[in-house]
Amino acid sequence: MPPSRARARATKSDPDDLPKVRADALQPTLALAEQIYEQLDEGEIPRMRLPLRTKQNLSFQVRDGVWRLGKAMGTRSARKLDGALMLLRTFYLVDFINEMSRDRKTSTLRELYYISEAWEDAKFHSEDESNLLIEDLEVMCERLREDFRLHPEENGASVIGDLTIKEKNRQGVVKKINCKDDVGDGGYSLPFNVEKEKIEFVGTNAKFVIAIECGGMVDRLAENNFDEERDAILVHLKGQPARSTRRFLRRITEELKLPVVVFTDGDPWSFRIYASVAYGAIKTAHLSSYLATPSAEFLGVTASDIENYDLPSDRLSEQDVKALQAELTDPRFGTAEWRSEIELMLKNGKKAEQQSLAKYGLNYVTEHYLPEKLTEMGVL
Amino acid sequence: MTPPPTLAQQLAAKQREISVAEFFERNRQILGFDNPQRSLLTTVKEAVDNAVDSAEEARVLPDVLVEISKEGDDRLRVAVTDNGPGILRKEIPNIFARLLYGSRFHSNRQARGQQGIGISAAVLYANLTTARPAHIVSKVEEEEAAHVLDLVIDTQKNQPRVVAEDLLLWDRPHGTRVEVVLKARYVRGRQSPYEYLRGTAIVNPHARLVLVEPDGTRVTFERASQELPPLAKETLPHPYGLELGELGYLLKGTRRPTLGEFLSKDLAGVSSRATREVFERSGIRPTRPPSSIQGEEQERLLAALHEVPLVAPAADCLSPIGATLIKRGLRNVLGDLRPEFYAPPVSRPPKVRGGFPFMVEVGLVYGGGLPPDPPIQILRFANRVPLLFQQGACAITTAIAHLDWRRYGLEQKGGAGVPSGPAVVLVHVASTKIPFTSEAKEAIAEDAEIDKEVTLALQAAARHLRAHISRMSRREFASDKFEIIQRILPKLAEKTSHLVGKPAPDLTPVITRIMDIVHVDSKLVRTDAAVRLPVEVTNYTPRARVLELFVEIPPDEFAAATFDPAPEGTEPALGRAWWTLPKLAPSGRTQLEVRFPAKSDVDAGDLDWYVVGIDESHVLGADPLPGDWDVRLPRTIVEAAEAAEAESAAAGPDEGEVDYDAAESSASASDEE
Repeated sequence: MPPSRARARATKSDPDDLPKVRADALQPTLALAEQIYEQLDEGEIPRMRLPLRTKQNLSFQVRDGVWRLGKAMGTRSARKLDGALMLLRTFYLVDFINEMSRDRKTSTLRELYYISEAWEDAKFHSEDESNLLIEDLEVMCERLREDFRLHPEENGASVIGDLTIKEKNRQGVVKKINCKDDVGDGGYSLPFNVEKEKIEFVGTNAKFVIAIECGGMVDRLAENNFDEERDAILVHLKGQPARSTRRFLRRITEELKLPVVVFTDGDPWSFRIYASVAYGAIKTAHLSSYLATPSAEFLGVTASDIENYDLPSDRLSEQDVKALQAELTDPRFGTAEWRSEIELMLKNGKKAEQQSLAKYGLNYVTEHYLPEKLTEMGVL
Repeated sequence: MTPPPTLAQQLAAKQREISVAEFFERNRQILGFDNPQRSLLTTVKEAVDNAVDSAEEARVLPDVLVEISKEGDDRLRVAVTDNGPGILRKEIPNIFARLLYGSRFHSNRQARGQQGIGISAAVLYANLTTARPAHIVSKVEEEEAAHVLDLVIDTQKNQPRVVAEDLLLWDRPHGTRVEVVLKARYVRGRQSPYEYLRGTAIVNPHARLVLVEPDGTRVTFERASQELPPLAKETLPHPYGLELGELGYLLKGTRRPTLGEFLSKDLAGVSSRATREVFERSGIRPTRPPSSIQGEEQERLLAALHEVPLVAPAADCLSPIGATLIKRGLRNVLGDLRPEFYAPPVSRPPKVRGGFPFMVEVGLVYGGGLPPDPPIQILRFANRVPLLFQQGACAITTAIAHLDWRRYGLEQKGGAGVPSGPAVVLVHVASTKIPFTSEAKEAIAEDAEIDKEVTLALQAAARHLRAHISRMSRREFASDKFEIIQRILPKLAEKTSHLVGKPAPDLTPVITRIMDIVHVDSKLVRTDAAVRLPVEVTNYTPRARVLELFVEIPPDEFAAATFDPAPEGTEPALGRAWWTLPKLAPSGRTQLEVRFPAKSDVDAGDLDWYVVGIDESHVLGADPLPGDWDVRLPRTIVEAAEAAEAESAAAGPDEGEVDYDAAESSASASDEE
């Protein structure tokens, strides 16, 4: 979908409905049904065309600075069993969405997966399968899954630092929360909906945002008072970050003009975490302009950090090597910096966790590693 | 005739100078007694072969009980009881306790045992390793009681010695029981008594075999056929296979008064004209007594015999298993594994090598519960006797390994070697003289004639396998399409018409577009009254079809088959019938039925279906008609076939579109985030 439209719509508020649902969301789903019905009626083999969500079909948008879906299209046809099943599933899903709309209900992604138990041949075999189909529908209808009244479970990615927000709770009461003073040690938990109708930024004294892969490192930084001492907002990515976490990072840079740095393990999978934050993920490339934060910078752990800081490391596994090689053909990693970083890791054959910095003591990461890296990046 | 002087005979000739014990010790390996595990198998094998042979000779269905029990740490008692005709009292000692004594030694007929070493060697082995006599019980029908003898072999003189004797009122009308205690080891697995009996059961479906293992386990191989195989005829030696020494032996032993009579009555294939020619060429007078021909004259006589045209050796001295019984035997023993395919067994016509007739038979079983691990299982048989040892050295294995099985649907590294896959291949070589690699008769020696016949038989069976495998893969492909049109498409129509609020569309055109095949669907139904094979032909293509349907049935099954409706034409000698089907509109269907008698062994896989009038890629359940069918086709069919050819030439490839779901799943493997 054109993300600009999604964002524009997301700013309108409708207090009766959570999450925010666009009233015309059903129309494009019915248009799809109409299209298939006509093919059947004319004796044609039912088929749909949709943009390929593969890395080969990513194209860089100079205007937004993000990677979005290119023009390559694929066909889903009832000529093959898999295609026929996906078509059938699509319309079970469309029917379910229309039903929810009539009943003014919403559903979690997981609930949808269980709902499909009743769809017989068309039932989903995994939650991945249902999530992918919802994304397909987003692409084809140019709507967000929230428009279809589908949302993820609260994923609770946590935020710690001097950031004051206003959140409207389930009762519709607006609460003002400071993510340092008004929350416990676990920090402020992000809801799945982080749009303006739910969360508004009030103000901050922080100078930058540090997005962190592992909970253990978030705790280390919090215990060492890194957020206060260095005026930072800590955001826990919880591995591959959810849409709401990515959307939150995007809003915070856009609206509060704060730089974002990404601090992960030093392995091929962590590079992908950074890429999905900064450039957009392959599977949600249709939403990149809405979810990606092109200004986010990768802090580490880099392949050279492993050498320079002499970090305890593990050998790259076979899958690690395959993943790195796949990244070399991923257009998002097409810059000279990324290529040399990936090639260095392949050459050294080593990976390290961010917590391996504890080799030099509990304070080393906050007193030496981060200040050095952040100074180098010009953030401090 | 006498086989050429074998190693055993040469060795036996020396037995005047050495004791049989010494002879045995020196030749343990070639006799099959070189280790305790093999000694047990050889003992069981010799006793069982004798038991089955003797029952067959007496024209009774063999019923053999093999009991193996423990008798101390490294000793086993082996008792084999049969329902054969029994042995006369005076013959018992010689048969069981004298080496190189036997009734089949000089006969030219296919038989399991040949040398007369087997069972007495087992008795000798038992005597030597445990000092226990062999215990024999045997009763002939004409006598009231059974004779019970305990026998040892006098190892100095190669003479039997009776150490105890008794009479016994036995509970069977006739039969023999041989019991020995020997140093041996019982092991299960590839080269075990179990495997030997299993193999024997496969190629002797008329025999009932029971094995009682040392732990008390009782295994029964039930009889799968009530018919005794025809007794192989005894034939005279044929000059083509004759060597000088044997000729001398025959000349010396014959009772014929003249050489002329000897040639025409003691040898096979020598006509009176041939006899005259032999005398002309050799210059020997026909009236001379045979025993007077010596030395250089023997050589001239043999040379002349090899030069003149003779009548080819007759094959009725062979006892093939036959296609029907091979299948029945395989099914009887492998049935529990539910193999998915029994290839129609191949029985090659008899051929001659070196004066000896031989023939090759092949059975092939595939899929289902057969173990998929490499390599395939090879069941080797020589004259209905399983060969369990020396697989790698056997001509049968060589022929299998030299065939490129990849062409027939099995995996094979580099197109040579024993292939892998869930398959069992049975090869039976029957001959009055099988060239074994050694006296232990464990492997067939390399021979160009045998190799050629085995290869031809394997290829014939493998072609059926290939047809089956391609049929299965097409069926899998089609089963997806059936799922689409039967389960998915109707629901897709229902969902979308519900969403747009319109009536459900007619799906016939879409269905024919998706399927785009004519389906020839036959299922075998066994009822008490008949074996029915209804055939449904459905046109799942978007245009009307005019088709000619052909079936090929093994000719003996064809003879008993009836058809409804009556075929357009038949060729019973080849087992062929054909029909011109009524014109089938899209989604149109027609039926016909083939019926067999209730007891028929026929399988759906025995019938091959062919079709003319449509391109091969648009048919499921039938293949295009092979070029060698000489059938005059109706004009409408010829036109339909031409149109179909044009149609498939015109159809381009699939628009070159990217399959969205295939692209997604191949991408996600290494790009997972």
